[in-house]
Amino acid sequence: MKADPGVGALPIGPPRGVAGLFRALAADPRSAAGLALVCSAIIAAAFAPVIAPSDPDTPDFINVLAPPSLIHLFGTDELGRDVLSRIIYGARASLFVGCLSVAAAAVIGTLLGLAAGTMGRLTDALIMRAMDVIFAFPSILLALAITAVLGPSLTNAVLAIVVVNVPVFARLVRAQTMVVSRLEFVEAKRALGFGEGHIVFRTILPNILPPVIVQGSLLFASAIITESYLSFLGLGVQPPTPTWGNMLRNAIGFLELAPWLAWFSGSAIFLTVLGSNLLGDGLRDRFDPRD
Amino acid sequence: MLHFIITRFVSLVPILFGISAVTFFLIRLVPGDPVIAFLGLEADENAIATLRRQLSLDQPLLVQYFAWLGRILSGDFGRSIQGGREVLPLLLGALGPTAILSLSALALSLMISIPAGVIAATRRNSWADYTVSLAALFGLSMPSFWLGVLLILTFSITLPIFPSSGYVSPLADPVAHLRHLVLPALTLGAALAAATMRMTRATMLEVLRADYIRTARAKGLPSRTVVWGHALGNARIPIVTLLGIQFGQLLGGVVITETVFSWPGIGKLTVDAIFARDYPVVQGAVLLTATMFVLINLVTDLIYTVLDPRLRLS
Repeated sequence: MKADPGVGALPIGPPRGVAGLFRALAADPRSAAGLALVCSAIIAAAFAPVIAPSDPDTPDFINVLAPPSLIHLFGTDELGRDVLSRIIYGARASLFVGCLSVAAAAVIGTLLGLAAGTMGRLTDALIMRAMDVIFAFPSILLALAITAVLGPSLTNAVLAIVVVNVPVFARLVRAQTMVVSRLEFVEAKRALGFGEGHIVFRTILPNILPPVIVQGSLLFASAIITESYLSFLGLGVQPPTPTWGNMLRNAIGFLELAPWLAWFSGSAIFLTVLGSNLLGDGLRDRFDPRD
Repeated sequence: MLHFIITRFVSLVPILFGISAVTFFLIRLVPGDPVIAFLGLEADENAIATLRRQLSLDQPLLVQYFAWLGRILSGDFGRSIQGGREVLPLLLGALGPTAILSLSALALSLMISIPAGVIAATRRNSWADYTVSLAALFGLSMPSFWLGVLLILTFSITLPIFPSSGYVSPLADPVAHLRHLVLPALTLGAALAAATMRMTRATMLEVLRADYIRTARAKGLPSRTVVWGHALGNARIPIVTLLGIQFGQLLGGVVITETVFSWPGIGKLTVDAIFARDYPVVQGAVLLTATMFVLINLVTDLIYTVLDPRLRLS
């Protein structure tokens, strides 16, 4: 969607183009480190069959709980499966849940926020009170309750994370919509006779996207953590599919015998979340230098 | 002020209604018959019909909801499917350990984060500032259960100083209680400390640039008085706001920490009930936790309007 010429009227604005944004992020050491960590996780997830040294599910009962070595860089688990391969494949589930849940929450939350901000008081009150109720639950508890009721699976983990994140986007978009819809270039569009749909989706939406993107990048980190919590508690993606959370859950039983299981699976979550946070901070600095 | 408090209380009513409705209808999504889940597959048909009538399950859904709400308001949270104990005493029994853990985590995080944030702000761009900023970033990025596991690995297995799990009542053995408390409180307090450190640093940086700080310095007041008295005093509003939000979030965080350390609080009770498919306990625990979460947010609102009367007017 092409941004309306009115973009220039706003105090906030992204660097020009995706290439410009990448250049700006790469120039800042913290953002570059974040970008490198997140890109590493994405590459691991995308090319897992090529990168992983062995099949993540193939047991090797001769090498059960083998410590890190040149053959198994991250050691093996209680079934002799290569931990490095499982971590590489585990990136798939974690990133998939993180990306899909944040994207879905962003789309739903943005539509609800736009509706609340533009469709009058009654719609606003109905939508925002519903959002307040969801906000009234500690997010991990609500996610737990949803997966507990619907059953543990990848789809339900995504659904739970979407539900807890929708209000964040809805509140943000509503607030931004209220500000933007009162600006002169929007009033000018109304005066020129453009329809409400055109104004909302072609004029207001492009102008409120930068904070939504920043929020998305920060919530991506929190979505990965929530997924790992759910998997850790046994309510997320189920074994034998490897995820970092269920690997860490498994590692608890072998802390004395094989501490590397906990070290490596936890490090994978930590580094990806750290990268997302660094990237999110960098994006926020770029999109809103006042912050 | 009284008007403000009453208004805030009244605004809670629809939220509490919403929480009860979400909790009620969420549990109704569970496949299967709750009466058979309670009485078992071999139950007598008369007993099933009686219990169904007692629980208003033969009524339309909306009638069921209000009947359930009436029972909740009169303190009847139902009975646990596992063992048949009443849910409310179970929840209240678990509240004590959760309160101890949450308050300890909060105290621990404040003891670390406020001085660290102030030092980072007053010595901007020094090694102390970089260390605090890095520690805060790491703390925010570290999943609490992994930190818990690392603490167990280090302080329970490699150096057997603290027990890795369990709970001892403070009345039975205060020393053993404290030894059991250290690792879970550190785990839960770390993320809280990280966010508070960041907020304290950012707010202090802003406040230290204010004119009245320059005036205080020009008057010759000692730096310690200016920073810890004048500046921190004015930086407390956003810090208290964040603490209130985070204290509420602790109620979510305890779910994970209590599970890792087998701490018998409301979080562990919830997770155990989920695995036992003990839905009356899940329902009660979710309802109670969400209600506490809302009330804590209300108390935070009230505290910061006391700290800054301008907020009352706005």
